[in-house]
Amino acid sequence: MKKNRLFQMNTSFVWLVACNFLLLTSGCVKVEYSKIKEPAYLRVFNNLNYVQTLGSKDNKVPFFCMFINPVVDASGMPVSAEIVGDFLDQRDAYAPPYPSHIGNSTSVNNPEYPGKENVLVGSILNGFDLSSWAQVPSGKVRIMFAYRPKNTVPFFQLESQLKKDILIDTTINLTNKEVYTLHLLQKDFVTKKTGVLLRQEIFHKLPLSDSLTYVNFYNMSAKGYWEADKSLKEDNFLLASFQGGMKDDMNIYLSLFEDQNLLSKQGPTIPGFKGKYFANVKLNTESPAVNPYSSFPIWASKSSNGITTNIWQRFDFFVPGMDITTNPYFGGSTDNGGNWVSVNCLQNGKIRMASNDNAAILPNVLVNIHSGKNNPATFATVNTIEVVNGKVYLTTIQRKYAPPIY
Amino acid sequence: MILAIGMQILGLVACKHEDLTIAVPNENIRPAADFVKNNYEMRLFYAAIKKVGYVDQLNGTGPFTILAPTDEAFNRMGVYNPSDFDKMNQDSLKKVIGYHVLPRRLMVSDIPNNGIDVRYATLSDAELYVSRASTNPNGGAENELYFSGSEVIRQDVVLANGSLQVLDNVMKPNFNKTVQSWLAGQPEYSVFVSGLKKFNLWDQLAGKSEFTIFAPNNEALKNVGITSASLNEMDASKYQGDVLFGVYLLYDRHFFVSDTQVFARINSNSSFNYFLKNSGYYMTFGGGKIYPSFKLGFGLVLRPGNGPADSPIKSATGDIVAKNDNLCSNGLVHHLMDGMVTPEQALKK
Repeated sequence: MKKNRLFQMNTSFVWLVACNFLLLTSGCVKVEYSKIKEPAYLRVFNNLNYVQTLGSKDNKVPFFCMFINPVVDASGMPVSAEIVGDFLDQRDAYAPPYPSHIGNSTSVNNPEYPGKENVLVGSILNGFDLSSWAQVPSGKVRIMFAYRPKNTVPFFQLESQLKKDILIDTTINLTNKEVYTLHLLQKDFVTKKTGVLLRQEIFHKLPLSDSLTYVNFYNMSAKGYWEADKSLKEDNFLLASFQGGMKDDMNIYLSLFEDQNLLSKQGPTIPGFKGKYFANVKLNTESPAVNPYSSFPIWASKSSNGITTNIWQRFDFFVPGMDITTNPYFGGSTDNGGNWVSVNCLQNGKIRMASNDNAAILPNVLVNIHSGKNNPATFATVNTIEVVNGKVYLTTIQRKYAPPIY
Repeated sequence: MILAIGMQILGLVACKHEDLTIAVPNENIRPAADFVKNNYEMRLFYAAIKKVGYVDQLNGTGPFTILAPTDEAFNRMGVYNPSDFDKMNQDSLKKVIGYHVLPRRLMVSDIPNNGIDVRYATLSDAELYVSRASTNPNGGAENELYFSGSEVIRQDVVLANGSLQVLDNVMKPNFNKTVQSWLAGQPEYSVFVSGLKKFNLWDQLAGKSEFTIFAPNNEALKNVGITSASLNEMDASKYQGDVLFGVYLLYDRHFFVSDTQVFARINSNSSFNYFLKNSGYYMTFGGGKIYPSFKLGFGLVLRPGNGPADSPIKSATGDIVAKNDNLCSNGLVHHLMDGMVTPEQALKK
């Protein structure tokens, strides 16, 4: 009898173990990782900017859905695509080194592609973190931008009549493992002609120093923008001198200021860096050539300690023949026919200057961030400043850095 | 072992279960028409619904969104008693009331952020315009809502078969009427109309292009020395018509007065500047909620040009809410309380 019971208990125990085993094994799932063979790295900006104003309230909003290699039906309406970048809004003034919009945004509107999209992104190439670049198939790809209403309904769920307004349908050629930025642009302000500009970036192939910060400039404004009458342009006081546009050929002068807590261009500058000639920029919406990078040392200030520095940058764009010493305009001149525009790069770019100024404001091109034991540590960066019609944009690229130690 | 398991089962079974009483769901959440009926702030709106025979439909399954103007809003238009609706053309009344009902449940959160002139279908054949000022990129968050120029003073009231938004004003749709035929039907603007006719500005108002018209009534034009008698004596060739009467026309735009308030919220700029057509005169249209009533109103300021030395010639306002935002098929007409230009100022040089 006793033996029998022991046997009974054993069998139930075996059953229990068997059931457990079954549960554990059936709980396993094989994860299929998506993979793009021979990818190119692509970042897309929508430079068709707009400001919501009373006067422009009836204008068509340049809010798009992007398709790469779309499948279209007989009527030309996209029904699916290999890669979809929906809710592509106008670009932000600042494109940060890391896609930080993902963590702190509650809106679906995407200021760039990939931006908030959860897609495969680039790896670290020569120290540069390409997590703001999406992997896309290389070779000849068809790319399409379709207007979409500004709401939160995904493109393919929209009503059919809303899906047929295609702005651009073209092909671009992408090479394996190369880094590209694609710009959606207005090419002519009078005819409103739009187009794309595909630029093959070279920053990851250059021998760049860790103690210099590099900036290159592009003027991708529409032809005829600065010449056009003021009443045809968007009215945004925050863009100060940029809102009227700048002339087609401009020299750029750099000033480095000692202290970014002093919100004034009357503050002390670093000796040797007050209105120093820096670069030249010409209007270009056709050629994909990369403009040369100019640099300045990040430890230029005597008050810096080799770990962190508090300097900020001001770029003055003057028409050739004019410079910071021969500037005939008063300090706050925002409406000077495109002869003088300027931008201050300090703090997070979301502040107003205390002094009378004509500058638009962007974030500091130097990245100050907690890294290792240093909080903050200052990092050199590679930057692109782009002027498009009445706006100025900063794209900062940064090398991979040590994580903070708390 | 078996004993132990058995004890546990017994232990679980031994719990005492009392009959749980769940609160009976409230079955008296009222459908749209009943809700309006039982709300003393909306007695006139209910009377209108009843008059045009919408009661049963609005108590049906829906869903509906009711845009309910308050009694005060009707009072401002001169409607004080339910019997006042009897004097009106019943077909037009039904269309206007139908314009205040959407065949869908619309909550504030369904409207796109900072959406301007988002169109929604109504029970009438015309669409209405919704503007929602929700965020200002330069800082500050607001959530103001306007239906065809009328402010929502209480948002998202939940009904059994939809939702209800309380309007501060009765919307004034004119459906297929152009701004021209609307003006022609208003005797208080008769001098303005004959002025437009005299200076060849009238015919364009029946076309397809859009207008925002700031219409001065006869009293207002008298302030600047224009009456029907003086108009008859005027030699049209001696005056700049685009200044004398063109000053009241804004071409190619349709602005609700509320748009000024909406854009003040969205981008801190509530005004629009423009040159008068065929003229160097420069006009600023602006507005918002005007102190001390905090009701919507607008103002116009006329300057000889847009230079720094061009000081204002004249400014005028329109803040009688009930007379603004007359929505026509090709634009809007607002009521202007003062004239802008005297005949002497518009003489050809």
